[in-house]
Amino acid sequence: MSVGVGYQLQQFIPFSSEVYLRLLERIGETFWPWHIVTLAMGVAAVLLALKNHGRATCLLTGLLWVVVGYGFFIQYYAELNWAGDYIGFAFIAQGALLLFVSFSGTGLAKTAPAKRPSVIFGLILTLIGLLGWPFIGLLTGNSSYQAAVFGIYADPTALTTLGLALIMLRGWPLWLSVIIPLLWLLVSSLTWWVLQTL
Amino acid sequence: MDHQFSRRKSIKLMAATAVSLLLPSLPVLAGSNTLLRNPISAKDHALPVIGMGTWRTFNVGSDPKLLDARTEVIRTFFELGGGLVDSSSMYGSAPDVMGYALQKLGIPDSLFSAEKVWSPAGGSAAEQVAELKKRWFIDRFDLVQVHNLTDWREHLAALQQMKADGKIGYVGITTSHGRRHQEVEQIMTSQDIDFVQLTYNITHREAEKRLLPLAKEKGIAVIANRPYDGGGLIKGIQRRVEPLPQWAIEECGCNNWADFLLKFIVSHPAITCTIPATTQVAHMRENMGAGSGPMPAATSRQRMQRFIETL
Repeated sequence: MSVGVGYQLQQFIPFSSEVYLRLLERIGETFWPWHIVTLAMGVAAVLLALKNHGRATCLLTGLLWVVVGYGFFIQYYAELNWAGDYIGFAFIAQGALLLFVSFSGTGLAKTAPAKRPSVIFGLILTLIGLLGWPFIGLLTGNSSYQAAVFGIYADPTALTTLGLALIMLRGWPLWLSVIIPLLWLLVSSLTWWVLQTL
Repeated sequence: MDHQFSRRKSIKLMAATAVSLLLPSLPVLAGSNTLLRNPISAKDHALPVIGMGTWRTFNVGSDPKLLDARTEVIRTFFELGGGLVDSSSMYGSAPDVMGYALQKLGIPDSLFSAEKVWSPAGGSAAEQVAELKKRWFIDRFDLVQVHNLTDWREHLAALQQMKADGKIGYVGITTSHGRRHQEVEQIMTSQDIDFVQLTYNITHREAEKRLLPLAKEKGIAVIANRPYDGGGLIKGIQRRVEPLPQWAIEECGCNNWADFLLKFIVSHPAITCTIPATTQVAHMRENMGAGSGPMPAATSRQRMQRFIETL
């Protein structure tokens, strides 16, 4: 990593891995036992998407994006990172987009998802985000409070939504709705990478 | 913070300054437990050569457990004679953590508070300084710097006015990672600044070519940031080399690698202080230890450089 690139990345990550893990733990402690509720909402969202009830799926996920934008980023993450408020607003905007799709029906697939590669890939992403993600942290030695759950933590919410979008959306709403999840997953990957190198 | 110097404090400072002035370019000797101090600017103040940075280490948000842990780090810093603490609005909650610690510990006489204005934080320089004072719970900053030269013309003019009005003690500029040295040189030459903060450590010595001689010539105090190159330098050496070479112990008064790296920096005649950052009390003790005892002479500094280059 060049000095210039390293500096630019570090500017956006002004905290240590110890502090970030503690932040995740504190968020887990604060929101418990809402993890069960948001996880159930996530499972319901997937089942509804597979049964071609995209409006209901977008309603559930849209609400949770607003929750993550405020609860994760603006309330907590922004304490550590000056960019936290901006990312929080981006998450709330993503929530608004999904709610718009829910109310208007724009971009939703007309028929139940077929076994196309994009749908299968979307389902795999959804299952990883929803069920696999919480266990990754546990397997790497984090506490149960650090188990990242859909609807409370940003990473699994972005990954699951990416999968859901591939399952149920078509046309420009599909492209528009994957931008913020993809950008966050990129930022999050770089964050973990930089934290490992410190 | 009360900035009216007491008679006793003034005498202590003058004495320390006099000693520092008498021994500016020699291997500086200090009592085994006395932190070496360097004079700054108009020579009316002297700073301990080991300060404290807060980048990343003090950004802990509102986490009660980590707030208390950092308070213990800063308690140790002041107990061991520390002075300059450097922070920035870019460092997330670090200024709030300083405020938390100072409320718990009280404001030590030795505190030399250094902050920075940084354009992306929003607001004018005066607004940023006012906001940062509230976060630190202090009445006045001893030093305010323009962070990474962002909008430096506008900010520096505002800070100089604040200094003239007695609202801040000194003004300065900062850079890091060896960036924009030409512009830093231009500012040092053309502007009336008291401090420059830049990256200087045993593996990053670009500043030796022009900026450090210029600072010496103009009487500008120099704060060396990234003394451990973000931590990688000391961790790398500790992984690869054990134990400390005997000559470093005998010639340079080093007891550990922190001594080796920090004494190299603060023994440069143009460096006023360096600002290692840490989250651990044990490491703070090591850092502060480097500011006392014998310092390497010019020949020993060259030997230190050669040794590190062979690794």
